[in-house]
Amino acid sequence: MRSSTFRTGTNMLVFLGPASFFLVCLLLAPIFVDLVVAFTDMAQTIRINEFTTKQFSKLVRASEDAWLGFELRSSFYRALSLSAVYIFFTLAIFNLTFGLILALTTTALPDWLGGVYRAIWLLPRMSPSVVYALMWIWVVDPTERGLLNQVIGVLGFSPINMKLDAPIVLIVTANGFIGASIGMLILTSSIRSIPEHLFFAARADGAGSLSIVRHIVLPALRWPLSYITVFQFLALLVSFEYIFLIMGPARSTMTMAMLAYTKTLAPDIGAGQYAYGAAITLILIVIGVFVALVLYRLANMTRLLMSPRIEVQ
Amino acid sequence: MKKLVHVAAATLIAASCGTAVPVFAEDVTVKLWSRADRSGPLRAGNIVAAADQLNRILEASGADVRVVIDLIETNARGFDADSLDVLKAHSVGDTPDILVAAHEWIGSFVEAGLAANLEEHIAANEPLYADMIPQLWESVKYKGERYGIPQDSEIRMFFLNNDILRATGKSEEFIAGLPAAVEAGEFTMYDFCDLAAEAVNSGAAKVGWVHRPNVGPDFQMAMASFGIDIYNEDEAKLQVTKKGLVAYYSWLQYCVENGSLPADMTTWSWDSVHAAFRGGDALSKFHGIWNVGAQLESFGVSGAEEYFNLITWIHSPPGEKGGQPKNLSHPIVYVVGDTPNKDLAAMIVALASQHVPNTAHAVGTNHTPINYGQAAMPEFVEKGWALIAGTPMLKHAEFMPNHAKIGQYNAITYQGVQAVETGELSPEEAAELVIDELEVELGDDVIILD
Repeated sequence: MRSSTFRTGTNMLVFLGPASFFLVCLLLAPIFVDLVVAFTDMAQTIRINEFTTKQFSKLVRASEDAWLGFELRSSFYRALSLSAVYIFFTLAIFNLTFGLILALTTTALPDWLGGVYRAIWLLPRMSPSVVYALMWIWVVDPTERGLLNQVIGVLGFSPINMKLDAPIVLIVTANGFIGASIGMLILTSSIRSIPEHLFFAARADGAGSLSIVRHIVLPALRWPLSYITVFQFLALLVSFEYIFLIMGPARSTMTMAMLAYTKTLAPDIGAGQYAYGAAITLILIVIGVFVALVLYRLANMTRLLMSPRIEVQ
Repeated sequence: MKKLVHVAAATLIAASCGTAVPVFAEDVTVKLWSRADRSGPLRAGNIVAAADQLNRILEASGADVRVVIDLIETNARGFDADSLDVLKAHSVGDTPDILVAAHEWIGSFVEAGLAANLEEHIAANEPLYADMIPQLWESVKYKGERYGIPQDSEIRMFFLNNDILRATGKSEEFIAGLPAAVEAGEFTMYDFCDLAAEAVNSGAAKVGWVHRPNVGPDFQMAMASFGIDIYNEDEAKLQVTKKGLVAYYSWLQYCVENGSLPADMTTWSWDSVHAAFRGGDALSKFHGIWNVGAQLESFGVSGAEEYFNLITWIHSPPGEKGGQPKNLSHPIVYVVGDTPNKDLAAMIVALASQHVPNTAHAVGTNHTPINYGQAAMPEFVEKGWALIAGTPMLKHAEFMPNHAKIGQYNAITYQGVQAVETGELSPEEAAELVIDELEVELGDDVIILD
């Protein structure tokens, strides 16, 4: 009996130990560290002199007129708004809609041709981020040397300056082209897993392509679409890499994640306010958890994750 | 064979007893922290050479100590990032003995307990520092005491392309008289923008003028032109005036609206900024004297005569007629860590700050000298004509305050620059935003004067 208990314990340690270790060190510990640092005065050095809530008071100001007795300070409110706009449009236009269109069109093509298209769409994700960002910088260069301006110049339009006049469109597009490929892969895989006889039966019944998409494909994609929405929302919420590489620390694209980065680690823009950045990041974590739970509920993800009632052989 | 061994042993014993030179000297490792920087490889190199010199002195004196320099060369993108890195290293007990840094970080280093007070060292070694240009000492002071040794000096200014001025229709007399007009307070910041717009409108320039595309010291001289004195030395606090900020941002807005300053300037890359001026597209750029080397190369000119035929230097003009022109010097300094090796490290720094090694750095990288006597050295006279020409400009020079939060201050005032230039906010709104941010983020460290 004792031997059996010992073996169970050993097995747990061997099989779950490494996973638990990584779970704690890589996932839980950073959140815990962030939580602690957010309530300190850590700046420039990594020493803690006092525990305080003053980092959060930098984000709000007292206001007698406000409902809760405080209002968001303009830079924080602006960062929240820009994050919402950036995430919504990247998610809606590219990660979901464009990913779906790519999946539908490439699965409708002959296998080899669809494969080629998908491979091309994966190129941005496979490129090093600095190279990808550099390409965008060249594309949207405001002078006539920029690729975009060369193209619209041929069409007879005067040069445009996206970094100045449409910065959000720029970062949504640049991030969207990368995000679309993930949606494309997941949705392609889901479309492929729909039993072929359903398509044959629909065709035999006289259904057209659009009807097949509407009545057979889209219902089968409900779960993958829900998953992509939750997953990509969380990814976009904390993403700043391409924004920083393409736009630098510009006010026009200072999302929450960018704000946290510029206050802590970004070079040449007043970084070193580690506790302040941690407070912003903590708010991002709270928003992420809250929105993920809401989406989880709205999309009824529990059903996706529960065990099937009937085992289909 | 046995006899030979005995002779050798006897010789060794005799040698070790009969001379002052020890057989085994103790190595003292001095940690030198310096970022790998193309604009000044000898900042670290001179310390290494000074350590060699010191070792020869130690050897001659029979001391049983030798210095070994452990060079920690970082790849930080700039001095700000590097200073944050060294502060982090310091806070986990890894404090360097010597540090190459931008002077405005001295306040942070002192507050963190990293920098050693050098007043006693400087007083005790007065002959080694007696020729130092006195104004430069201001750059290493924190609360009245010196915590560093100036490593180099420079002067920041507005560079103007004379060929573009000629193509705009300006006479040689006008061009030659510009520095004096600025000096006399007759040529203002607004005149400068009008001139740049005229160059653009006449087709002589594609861009009127360009400034740095990120947070940095250059903006301080433009702010100073509009009467913003950013440091209260008595209280050792940063300060700002709303009136001054509105005037400064109004000028930037005016420059954007008259077409002399690109509205997206703050999103440019450094390469584009350099290329705009060095490529002959922009009439003017404000930056530091060390640009002269690259300008000579880009414009294909050599020597003082050819250079000054092509480029005019002016201070940052006054904000209004009759005002004072301003410019900025941004010295790089040696900071000695408050470590057990601080006395030895300070002596190495003293040796590295002498005329010959510092001239090798200054002439090689187009930085102005730290000692008066350097300007008379043959190497300086022959190759340092630009630096000799720039040195008189130092009389209008300001330094960045050595305050721990100057980096944050600059980052916040730069937000106003971004907001006004891109048209997001009016100068008044930008000034309000900046003051609000300064109050919240800097708290008691900033004084709002109006």
